[in-house]
Amino acid sequence: MTPVVWIHYARPRPHWYALSETEKAARQAAWTDIANASKLQGAENIGRYHIRGQQDYETVDIWRFTNAEAAADHWSRLTVAQYNEWYAFSNNVGIAMDALA
Amino acid sequence: MALLTATTDVFSASETSERCVVLFIAKAHSLPGAGTRGSSRDSVATVLDQLGSQGWRLSLREMIDPSAKSGPMVFDSGFAHDADYVGVFEAPGISAALEGTVQLERAGWSQCYATQWLLGPREFAAIEAKGPPLEREWGFIALWEWNDAWAAASLEQRRDYDAECDVAFQGDLALNVNIAGRHRLDFASAWHHLGIWEVDRPETVDTAMRGHEDAADFKYTTSRHFIGRRRPLAHMFSPVSGEPQ
Repeated sequence: MTPVVWIHYARPRPHWYALSETEKAARQAAWTDIANASKLQGAENIGRYHIRGQQDYETVDIWRFTNAEAAADHWSRLTVAQYNEWYAFSNNVGIAMDALA
Repeated sequence: MALLTATTDVFSASETSERCVVLFIAKAHSLPGAGTRGSSRDSVATVLDQLGSQGWRLSLREMIDPSAKSGPMVFDSGFAHDADYVGVFEAPGISAALEGTVQLERAGWSQCYATQWLLGPREFAAIEAKGPPLEREWGFIALWEWNDAWAAASLEQRRDYDAECDVAFQGDLALNVNIAGRHRLDFASAWHHLGIWEVDRPETVDTAMRGHEDAADFKYTTSRHFIGRRRPLAHMFSPVSGEPQ
């Protein structure tokens, strides 16, 4: 199994904007806990970037995972925590080119 | 991996959920000199043989009936879509699926086709049609996304919706359609899940879709559908007119 990049585009769904700041913060905290658990298992978050000016989404998050299964597991745990119900998304996975040489 | 939505009367969780679908949507290169199919044919076939020996299923037929030995198959979809071929494999796992797509591309596939590869683990088990045996030479491939309305709906509304859609899926089985279960695509796509059917003819798909419209299936989903006629995958790499054999 080879290391992968995982690219996650996201934008809030319309009903996200109707939540109070407290409600938003509680959900964000749960999703941050999931991201931190992934980091403890070897994932690396390269960063979050704002792309609304030239994309269908608001942000893009770029991660490195030890393998594709770990990326899929990270996403699965986010969906269990209803992340996908509050954010529209598009995801990509790719094998590190240097692992293919 | 967790289920994206709950099981229903029609759909049950698969016992083999570590397996991963590899959906490909391929458009032939048309530029002169973009690569000859004949020269890629043998190298792609060699990779497919290797993948088969590693536990890949190389056709929808084998995904529905693992005892079937159809050989690699695709669906010829150019008559109805801007993709020339659409097809599915099932790999033993997610990493194997991802690495297999790179092996195929490097074997010459990418010289002949611009291809979108979509990967995702199996969620629900395959379901066999209700009806007498018949030849099912057509494939129906459905990509689904739950929309903002679904995301904002209550759990009770979603349960009612699933029950309504189950009526439509029962109707599909009664049309003698085989359903290859369901696979999640969302970890590496904007699409959320994939449904693939074996059907006898395109008219059956049209009748089935009317049933899904009656069940208001599409109020909570955006979908993209492909149909195509089954052919051996080698057909993708048959030399076209003017190419060397």
